[in-house]
Amino acid sequence: MDVALSLDRVTKKFGDYTAVNAVSAAIPRGCIYGFLGPNGAGKTTTIRMIMSILYPDAGEIQVLGSPNSESMKNRLGYLPEEKGLYKKMKVGDLVTYFGQLKGLSGRDARKRGRELLERWNLGEWIDKKCDALSKGMGQKVQIISTLIHDPELVILDEPFSGLDPVNVEVVRDVVLQMKRDGKTVIFSTHVMSQAEQMCDYIMLINDGNKILDGPMAEVRGSAGGSVIIEYEGDGTLFDRLPGVTRVNDAGKEVELTLVEGTDPQDILARLIGKISIRRFDMRAPSLHEIFIRAVGGVPHG
Amino acid sequence: MGKIFLVAKREYLENVRTKGFWIGIMLVPILYTGMFLGPAWIEKSKPAKKFAVIDQSGWLLEKVEERMLVEDLSRIFLEVGEAHREDRPMPGLPDYLASLGKSFAETDPYKLSMMAAATAFPTEAGATADLPAELSENRGALLTWWKKLSPKETKTLFKSTTRNDFVLLSNLDADPEKLNNMVLTEELFAYFVIGADPVTDSQGCKYISTNLTDDDLQSWFGRYTTAVVRDQRLQKENIDASVAGWIQSPLSFEGRKLSASGEEREVSLQDKVRQWAPAAFVYLLWISVFTISNMLMTNTIEEKSNRLIEVLLSSMSPIQLMAGKMTGIAWTGLTMVGTWILCVIAGTAFLPGMLGLTLPFDMGAILSDPAFTLSFGIYFVLGYLLYGSILVGLGSVFNSLKEAQSLMGPVMMLLFIPLILMVPISQDPNGLLAKICSYIPPLTPFTMMNRAAAPPTTLEYIATSVLLLASVLFSLWASAKIFRIGILLTGKPPKIREMVRWIKAPVGLAPEHKEA
Repeated sequence: MDVALSLDRVTKKFGDYTAVNAVSAAIPRGCIYGFLGPNGAGKTTTIRMIMSILYPDAGEIQVLGSPNSESMKNRLGYLPEEKGLYKKMKVGDLVTYFGQLKGLSGRDARKRGRELLERWNLGEWIDKKCDALSKGMGQKVQIISTLIHDPELVILDEPFSGLDPVNVEVVRDVVLQMKRDGKTVIFSTHVMSQAEQMCDYIMLINDGNKILDGPMAEVRGSAGGSVIIEYEGDGTLFDRLPGVTRVNDAGKEVELTLVEGTDPQDILARLIGKISIRRFDMRAPSLHEIFIRAVGGVPHG
Repeated sequence: MGKIFLVAKREYLENVRTKGFWIGIMLVPILYTGMFLGPAWIEKSKPAKKFAVIDQSGWLLEKVEERMLVEDLSRIFLEVGEAHREDRPMPGLPDYLASLGKSFAETDPYKLSMMAAATAFPTEAGATADLPAELSENRGALLTWWKKLSPKETKTLFKSTTRNDFVLLSNLDADPEKLNNMVLTEELFAYFVIGADPVTDSQGCKYISTNLTDDDLQSWFGRYTTAVVRDQRLQKENIDASVAGWIQSPLSFEGRKLSASGEEREVSLQDKVRQWAPAAFVYLLWISVFTISNMLMTNTIEEKSNRLIEVLLSSMSPIQLMAGKMTGIAWTGLTMVGTWILCVIAGTAFLPGMLGLTLPFDMGAILSDPAFTLSFGIYFVLGYLLYGSILVGLGSVFNSLKEAQSLMGPVMMLLFIPLILMVPISQDPNGLLAKICSYIPPLTPFTMMNRAAAPPTTLEYIATSVLLLASVLFSLWASAKIFRIGILLTGKPPKIREMVRWIKAPVGLAPEHKEA
């Protein structure tokens, strides 16, 4: 496997508090990789170490085959969770500036900035100041600034947070396009459904510890079966079913995690006549389920 | 290096492109010029104060008016002579007076006052000085013309006659009640009451006005009456007036400057200006160092609150970012100081001409003296690096200007120390205080600049500069360590103790601070 990024027992402490605890991972080139975990799990700290904004206390990070990620900065693209723009700068100048900081010549940066802005329907904004941009347009400009130097590895920290559905779609399309272009994309999120739709590989972190990682299909496949039922009626019934380890009831839809060897037909038979069933689906468990199950085994704090 | 330059360039352009920056820069020379020229202009445009006199002695006011007339005539002669020398026409001046300009210009002031006395009172003893024919022929016409000239006309023609400032209204009733009313309605600024026997004492002498803070009129009129009364007293005791004048004349010491080569010469205005020039440079140094150090800090905090730091740090190291910011702001500061110096040069070259003045000293000689300009340049850069690095380090830990204010209070107090020390050091530039302060690095730039007129020894220059340079390097290093951690913090600002720990920690080791 051609590895874009590898972490080897990376640890970061802030005083007595361990933010990241001996995390190891290998991220293959050309995939979309998800860092998943709740807020405060250590995702941002891990990303900052990859970007050599912070340095690990122990362990080793290899970025694009080099242990010195500092020297790789020009080949990486990074969109932090906290993002901003120079409000008084013109959009074109700003994008050019970030391109130059990543080692492009002034002329190349301007040319590529113009291309990207035009491709993203922001061509007419080149000579306008950043404080005139709407939030969604601002987000696009930030992403353009991240991609202007055509990085091999792109890291997006919570790229979807605070976006409306239209812009979520815009960002998702960009990520997919980057994958088609052969780039490696790492993004962090605490929204499991997004990762489920997009990621080839995932890693789950909680309280600084890696809980599991691997290809999406494998992660979900290894976790046993589950059924989704859309229903109308008394939900307390599910708790009394045999062969069910977990009930995740949302009111109209429930996800039941089954003990290995339990026959879903048997479950269906027990429910018929007691509640009205609209849909009955068998599938691999959702990431959310996997996460809850996994975290349940790792004590908090 | 390239990234430092990019950051510096962006920083510089962003500052220099704003209108506010240039307005702020130009405000300083405008305020300075206003501070110097404003009072003179206000003085000039102030209307003359009107006053009246109730003379209970029956003779004193008349004598005072005689003196005022002589005084005014001699001022008129002086000014007409001056105008002739400068080849400046005085429209509205009677022809005979204008044609006397040449002879007035060639006569010294003392003789002019004798001529004025002779013109006003030709019969008095000793006042028959040989007047120019033109003047003695037109004596009567001149006196009538002057008497009839209105205060407004007087003001446009002359600069310094008594009527420019004070106008005596002599045709009023000597009724205190009426005068009181006039004072209250501001028709009169004030009125005087002269006692019945002013030669004996001040019994019954009064000055009545609503405004007792402005005592120009009171002391001016007091001088005239005192002089008249003194003459009367001398006469009464049979003392010759000229003898009395001689007795009262003070003994004065002429100041002479001893140069390093042992040469003794007169103190020129140039010497005095040179002596005080360092103080002006210190002030300029202080303003510029603190303006731009403060700009650097504000700017760092703003960038942090703009949430751009992480993006920038993904492209460069914190040290590169800090160096770039410091360089960019340094260029901004140099632009600012350069503009000021250009303003001074342009101001001294053109402004006096525009206002009809000549500058009584050579500004060029001061601006081209390396003891001033070269040390100003060097101390500006070093002072900025020292204070700028301290403020950028401190600024990096705060999330908003409001947060920073709590710490800035004490820091700002420290910044005022150089200003407080300015006067004592100017007075004794080679004294103990000056020497001690020269070796305290935060004070070195200001103290050494202040001592430039009485130059410190080369050894002192070297020793203090080495010390200052060492502190600059130390504070840059310490500040960089604080900066690289502080700039990423988002929670509560750390305590001073914590920052000290960051400075001590070897690079790469975690600081004892939890990220929020």
